[in-house]
Amino acid sequence: MSAVVYGVGTTKFGRQPGRSGSSLGQEAILEALGDAGVDSVDAVYAGTVFGAPGTAQRALQDAGITAVPVLTFENACATSSTAFHEARHAVMSGRYERVLCLGIETMTSSFDGPITPEVTDSEGRAGLALPGVYALVASRYAYLHGLDTKALAQLAVKNRRHGSFNPRAQHGKEVTLEEVLASRMVADPLTLYQCCDISDAATAAVVGVPRGNDRDVRIAGSALRSGRLWDHRSTQPWGYELMGEVAAAAWEDAGIGPEEIDLFEVHDAFTIGELTATEALGLTAPGGGADLVLSGHTALGGRQPVNPSGGLLSRGHPLGATGLAQIAEAVWQLRGDAGGRQVEGARVAAVETMGGGTAGIDGNGCVVVVLGG
Amino acid sequence: MPQRENEVESMSSATADPRPRAVVSGGAVTVAGWRCRDCAHPMTHEVLRCPVCRGGTGAAAFSPQGEVFASTCLRIRVPGHEPPFAMAYLLLDDGPRVLVHTEGEQPLRVGSRAVITSITADGDLVAAGCEQEES
Repeated sequence: MSAVVYGVGTTKFGRQPGRSGSSLGQEAILEALGDAGVDSVDAVYAGTVFGAPGTAQRALQDAGITAVPVLTFENACATSSTAFHEARHAVMSGRYERVLCLGIETMTSSFDGPITPEVTDSEGRAGLALPGVYALVASRYAYLHGLDTKALAQLAVKNRRHGSFNPRAQHGKEVTLEEVLASRMVADPLTLYQCCDISDAATAAVVGVPRGNDRDVRIAGSALRSGRLWDHRSTQPWGYELMGEVAAAAWEDAGIGPEEIDLFEVHDAFTIGELTATEALGLTAPGGGADLVLSGHTALGGRQPVNPSGGLLSRGHPLGATGLAQIAEAVWQLRGDAGGRQVEGARVAAVETMGGGTAGIDGNGCVVVVLGG
Repeated sequence: MPQRENEVESMSSATADPRPRAVVSGGAVTVAGWRCRDCAHPMTHEVLRCPVCRGGTGAAAFSPQGEVFASTCLRIRVPGHEPPFAMAYLLLDDGPRVLVHTEGEQPLRVGSRAVITSITADGDLVAAGCEQEES
């Protein structure tokens, strides 16, 4: 048995402190159900990272989805990607015919500024905020391969240009290379415009058994796992080997390799995240990520656009909702519904979400999904 | 930065403090951790069995010296830490990799040598580079 995406839905992304998780959730749920052409589901696989207990149930009851199993997942940034991967397997196994996946995050009610490091974590307690995690990735990457900070900044220019075509993006304004480089330093070498913003949003998708509908999008493959120990034995930047391992599993599951993918939505919470992801997923050899950006390979109009949605850098990063936002973009692209950011002739898409924050392992969890084909 | 003259464990919140522990004695710093009795895997926090080989573990002391694995300087607000503050992963000689704070705003050069010199009053490890700043 295989599984397909019947429909997707998202709210707009941004600082929406006046809106509750339930309000955001309802909007995404109703759009997804409407897009799917269904009014009920057999189960709900939800996700939120910072949401209160019952966040999913509050949104679901208001959307009229009750008396079904509701499971809430937490897997850091990969939370709703994890829910999606698990929903796919629940459908493939025959347990359910139709599962609603849901991601809800209301971050501006939790944080005044950047995400506060987790004090029960050894590195969080020491003050290592997430921009620092990725800055250390950039530092290690630069040591191994060399890193042109202008190329890194150019990646932000690319994604913000893509985001200017995305009406749901939090930051839909283009930025220039000079503006990216001149924006204030957050964690060397990452400047402000190379860091995603916190965001309030909800996202949803309906996954089900194939039903012969041309608009449905096939889930060709997916993989999920947590990071191995990342300690004194490791030579690679944080997360790199996990992304590579999960991607390899997803390519094998799908029977499709990275060279056959028409577009990617990857985890550019920070510019260096996309750079390392493109290498780990196999778009290029280690050290080749900057050239992909500078050559235009990964820009709209290029051979393999990466983050045509504008990515997290444009869309914003409502943690538990981000994975399904990436899935939604892939679905819109594969249906030819992506408007000004449409990748021409898109047939196969890949989504990568990287969840992190726990010291000592190579990532809390990474998910790679292959859609279409 | 202020330096503690005694073991960090004496902090009131030490039992819940997940950071690596260090001991300052006579001006010298030792990192207190654990090591697997079977495979010698070094760890900064106590575990019930070795996560690599499942062997038994015992207390160990590690050198404060090592090589910089990666480094940065954070310039944003982080509770309990006044920006800007520089940090680095330090790969201790024959020991675990630890996250340290470093003096000043200039991140230590990756691949260079550094040594843990002190512990802040709040319990963060502080390291200094062993090489002269290259202009």
